[in-house]
Amino acid sequence: MTEKSIEERIIEDVKARFPEDIIEAKVQRKSRISLSVKSEKIYDVGLFLRDKLGFDHIASVSGVDYITMNEFEVIYYIWSIDNKVLVGLRTKIPRDRPILKSLIDLWEGALYHEREAWEMFGINFLGHPNLSLLLLPEDWDGLPPLRKDFLLPENPQEKLEEKIKKLSGG
Amino acid sequence: MSVMKLSMGPQHPITGHFRFILDVDGDLVLKLEPDIGYTHRGIEKLVEKRTYLQNLPVIERVNSYCDSLGTMLGYLEVIEEVMGLNVPERAKYLRVISAELNRIASHLYFLCLTSVATGLETMLMWPINDRELILDLLERLSGQRITYTYQTIGGVRFDMPDGFKDEALKRLDYLEKRLEDYYKMLVHNHTFQLRTKNVGILKPSDAVKLGVVGPNLRASGVKVDVRKDEPYEVYDRFDFLIPTGKNGDSYDRVEIRLKEIEQSIHILRQALKDVPKGAIKTWAPPIVPKGEAYSRVEAARGEFGYYLVGDGTMKPYRLKISPPSFRNLIALPHLCRNVPLADVPIIYISLDLIPMDVDR
Amino acid sequence: MLQKIRNSLMGIKLLRRVLNWGRAWSLWSVHLETGCCGPEDMARACARYDTERFGTLPFPSLRECDLIFVTGFVTKKMAKRLKLVYDQMPEPKYVIAIGHCAISGGLWWDSYSVVQGVDEILPVDVYVPGCPPRPEAWIQGIRMLQEKITKEGMSKK
Repeated sequence: MTEKSIEERIIEDVKARFPEDIIEAKVQRKSRISLSVKSEKIYDVGLFLRDKLGFDHIASVSGVDYITMNEFEVIYYIWSIDNKVLVGLRTKIPRDRPILKSLIDLWEGALYHEREAWEMFGINFLGHPNLSLLLLPEDWDGLPPLRKDFLLPENPQEKLEEKIKKLSGG
Repeated sequence: MSVMKLSMGPQHPITGHFRFILDVDGDLVLKLEPDIGYTHRGIEKLVEKRTYLQNLPVIERVNSYCDSLGTMLGYLEVIEEVMGLNVPERAKYLRVISAELNRIASHLYFLCLTSVATGLETMLMWPINDRELILDLLERLSGQRITYTYQTIGGVRFDMPDGFKDEALKRLDYLEKRLEDYYKMLVHNHTFQLRTKNVGILKPSDAVKLGVVGPNLRASGVKVDVRKDEPYEVYDRFDFLIPTGKNGDSYDRVEIRLKEIEQSIHILRQALKDVPKGAIKTWAPPIVPKGEAYSRVEAARGEFGYYLVGDGTMKPYRLKISPPSFRNLIALPHLCRNVPLADVPIIYISLDLIPMDVDR
Repeated sequence: MLQKIRNSLMGIKLLRRVLNWGRAWSLWSVHLETGCCGPEDMARACARYDTERFGTLPFPSLRECDLIFVTGFVTKKMAKRLKLVYDQMPEPKYVIAIGHCAISGGLWWDSYSVVQGVDEILPVDVYVPGCPPRPEAWIQGIRMLQEKITKEGMSKK
């Protein structure tokens, strides 16, 4: 009988504990697991991962804007120092009502990561102590910049040509 | 007890640009709140508009202060993983050589900034000049002093020139002897020890809970290094140690970087001896197929994480960059609670936070 | 009365030349590293390139400086503070824009939070292109400013 790898054993434990709430669980490659859960259950699954399976070191919190499917995907990447495995705990939330429970009670290091996701996508993390502007200028009043409907300028060439003319004395 | 709000920065003589909002009672700092974003360029939005190849100089300038090669390596790893590309052996060795040289240059720059903050001017001048020797070697490889764009998708752009190996070994021997002077002048210096010992002690359990990475985590005693946990490129072929600290105070955080320079010199000697012959680059298609990946590399300041979503076109759908200074930032308000005001610059500089890294 | 004495003294060409020479060869610069060109600021001030022999010393207190190097990109959040720093410097003061990003936005031409060239905020005297410019180019920039001061000098303000 072939020995199961650590990644497969972790997935089995999670599926056994939460049989109905895991939408998809797979081993992407060595040391990489992807767990897709329902958004209401993300706190409970996170608590199980931290306390029983040793995922203690938070790496990043990223949002992805799937505008054609009208949803955001939020992914928490957490590393386990003892098992040397990275898990991507992901969930999908509707784009017109982006609300998710904050996981800073589980991983304190997610404080600034979640604040940045709020700023860049507009995702509301319930329970976060301070959702205010972090990186953007204080008088920012546009759309959250990383949404796909926020567009960057295509062509600033006119301004550049004026400047070159002015500097060369023309 | 009367509490005063004090604002330090964003222009201050140590290293720009950070602003701290401190709650001060007399000489005691009760709370510190960092105010960041003075160097935010919106790189994660800009990369979605440019092709993967056009993104190379953009990603490099996330942290071109000192460690552009470590920064780039993570981006290339994640693209090559989604593409399923195999990089030639010689290119992997050259990538490791250039990344380790960059790590030494970055730690030497850290020593300069630390000495400025603690008031030891000699240690500002010595490492900066030794850093010039390393920058000369990198200039021979790539043609540039700090923003190299040396590594590319599929390999590296230029080959090692003739005479590079001997010149590099000579300079590394000189640098190793110089480290003894640095130990005497900085780390074993009584004034420096008085200022940094038992200042800003970060316990190992707190460090893991907060998500701190890099030399700051190792100085607290937790042995975590991506080069050993998940070896990438050819790091599994080299024999090197991971130094750890005992107390987790600012003194340990400075000393551990000197020890890391020694280990980098050790890796470089092995790599320069064993570089195989062969191609330096393989052809990489311009389109990255649909798929996603997460790559981790160990830059000079800690672990860089890259998350890429490819959608079958020439431009990334989403690239998330998780830089080490952003993850270390949370240690600063945690450590600056009920400390004297004079300790705040020491704690800040020993954590090695670079604003451009934090803000992207 | 004092103004009359001052004007007549300034009319003496020799005196004006001595003052311009003194000003050009003791430009103290503010420690302000906005972007990626920052480490080159440290490198050019130290032993190998040594711009201190031209009189430019990086000085921490900005009330005693008369030169500001804008090294690299300037974000919209930083722009207000940059103007504040510039206003706090005593007259006469000079600005050198270092790097493509300071001249026109550079690589960040389509960014939502980068000012497209520092001359939208401050009056610039010398532009030094490069990404980043080599320390030799910095020295050329400093020399150009020194020549500009010795030629124009007091007529600037």
